[in-house]
Amino acid sequence: MDTVFIGRLKSLLDAVAEQMHLYVPRKVDGHYVCVGYDPSVETAVEYNTIRVCTPVKEFLFPLRELAAVFPEPVAPADVRPFAVFGLKACDLRSIEILDKVFLEKDFEDPLYVARRENMFVISSDCTEPGESCFCSVLEGKPYAEGGFDLNVSAVDDGFVVQAGSSKGKRFLSEHASIFGDVPDALLAERDKNRAGVQASLERINADYQLGGASKDAVEQGYESEVFDEHARTCVECQACTRVCPTCHCFYLYDTKQEDYFGKMKMWDSCMRTGYAEVAGGGNPRKILGDRLRHRLMHKFVYFLERYGMEMCVGCGRCVDAEAGDMDIRMVLKRLSDELTDKGKAVAKKAK
Amino acid sequence: MTANLYQPINGQITDVIDESPTIKSFVIAPEHDFQFATGQFVELTLPGEGEAPFTPSSSPRIKEKMEITIMKAGRVTAQLHGCGKGQRVAIRGPYGNGYPIDDFAGKHVYIVGGGVGLAPIRSLFLTLVDRIGDFKSVVCRFGARTPADFIYKDTLFGEWQKLDGVEMKLTVDEGNGDWDGHVGVVTTILGPKDVDIKNAVAVVCGPPIMMKFATVNLLEYGFDPNSIYLSMEKNMSCGVGKCGHCMLGKYYVCKDGPVFTYAQVHKYPNIWE
Repeated sequence: MDTVFIGRLKSLLDAVAEQMHLYVPRKVDGHYVCVGYDPSVETAVEYNTIRVCTPVKEFLFPLRELAAVFPEPVAPADVRPFAVFGLKACDLRSIEILDKVFLEKDFEDPLYVARRENMFVISSDCTEPGESCFCSVLEGKPYAEGGFDLNVSAVDDGFVVQAGSSKGKRFLSEHASIFGDVPDALLAERDKNRAGVQASLERINADYQLGGASKDAVEQGYESEVFDEHARTCVECQACTRVCPTCHCFYLYDTKQEDYFGKMKMWDSCMRTGYAEVAGGGNPRKILGDRLRHRLMHKFVYFLERYGMEMCVGCGRCVDAEAGDMDIRMVLKRLSDELTDKGKAVAKKAK
Repeated sequence: MTANLYQPINGQITDVIDESPTIKSFVIAPEHDFQFATGQFVELTLPGEGEAPFTPSSSPRIKEKMEITIMKAGRVTAQLHGCGKGQRVAIRGPYGNGYPIDDFAGKHVYIVGGGVGLAPIRSLFLTLVDRIGDFKSVVCRFGARTPADFIYKDTLFGEWQKLDGVEMKLTVDEGNGDWDGHVGVVTTILGPKDVDIKNAVAVVCGPPIMMKFATVNLLEYGFDPNSIYLSMEKNMSCGVGKCGHCMLGKYYVCKDGPVFTYAQVHKYPNIWE
């Protein structure tokens, strides 16, 4: 059976936690964060209505890690299997994006590979989209259709659990005793819930709907003043790139320890002034508007050309996190409108 | 287990050559043979201090050691300038694409270089000279700020000038008492009749401002943007197209470059900065 029913979420999480370390969502001050699961605490089980606040990249590509040791190389510590519950469809898409970069043929990042191979992904359907969620604008859905080991959908009186990988199927068959069958009525209920959430997402984003492909809007808006205008409301806090689940820039630096030298790998931000500066002082993106344009071009044009998918999942974390007022939905919408207006003007002239 | 992309190999500085008041060449012996293609770059680490990207200036034929010519320009390069023989270093790489030498076969190779830009050019030049019969000619136009600022003076003023199949002109921005050569920036020794442009490729490497104006001249002379090869200097760090620092439009200079044709990069803004 690939799809089963379970009455209590705790039974599922306890079964997972018996096998590996498990991270679960917990609401703190209105936001969800990830914490280690403690089976002895009854209230430890929460079904997060939307994505957690922190990006899933933290599990695969931590803020700071030791990338190499020399002169005597040391094998990195073994990664133990771990599970994360409560990932959403946008999170899974962000993993797919990071996979393109860090699992790229001939250029695999061993630190990422080790974590990725040991991660057990338990996603769940969104039940109440947040005000900043805009996955639907980028053809995302509030529920996962692939990329998970297990997916959990809340239904009346329980949860529908679906396996999406061989690891997930094995888990279901090993724990067959805690699951029940899923009547068709429950699947219909799941579909109805999903459609309802999708509809509310579309309502929330009615003002941000783009007139065409995001790639065209950004690429053809290259010379637009929108970037410089929005840069005026940006305070360069770099929060957008930190919480972004797809931003993966990093910085390598050297350290000297008592008995070894190390290369450290740490998150970096392309919004930082000196990010692209060379030793001689040259800097192709000195101006904030240029950095903003580059970030958007990378997300919606360059990455798409290279890897076949956009590098934005519409999770809205950057909208929530920024200290200034630099809403990516507004930038996209304005660029898209400019392109539509340009098209209309050309058509009018042709008449 | 996947080999660690970030793991450097150990090496040692075995000689230091003063090239100019601000430039030194370091002979580096890696702990095992190191193979690179001319134009590819390496990340050289001063352990515990930092690393920076350099294109080796020696011939790729030599595998047991390499030369890296370094201008004092920032924190790591200043520290390297303070290092002498015996200093432990580490190397990652080689990275990037290098010069497509085979595509140059049967053509004139027109090389425009300035300042420390002669470092990658030296490796290219030595590679071309090894198989000089494959090319119609190798025509060099090199510049430096003053005569003292030329690097590789012994060979540049000596044997390189006398090689069959090689034609070379030098210039300095400012002469001095001993200099009886041309005075003027490097673009003043470029000419539309230097080579048969339809059967030529151009290679440009030097300070960004020089590359910019040399490229403008080459385009005016009729060089095809696909035949102008530029060594782009960006902030390459990881070397494997991930960390993002060296992005030039859609390209990762470290992985897709550092050698690009002008046709590939001309549409992006600020490529010379």
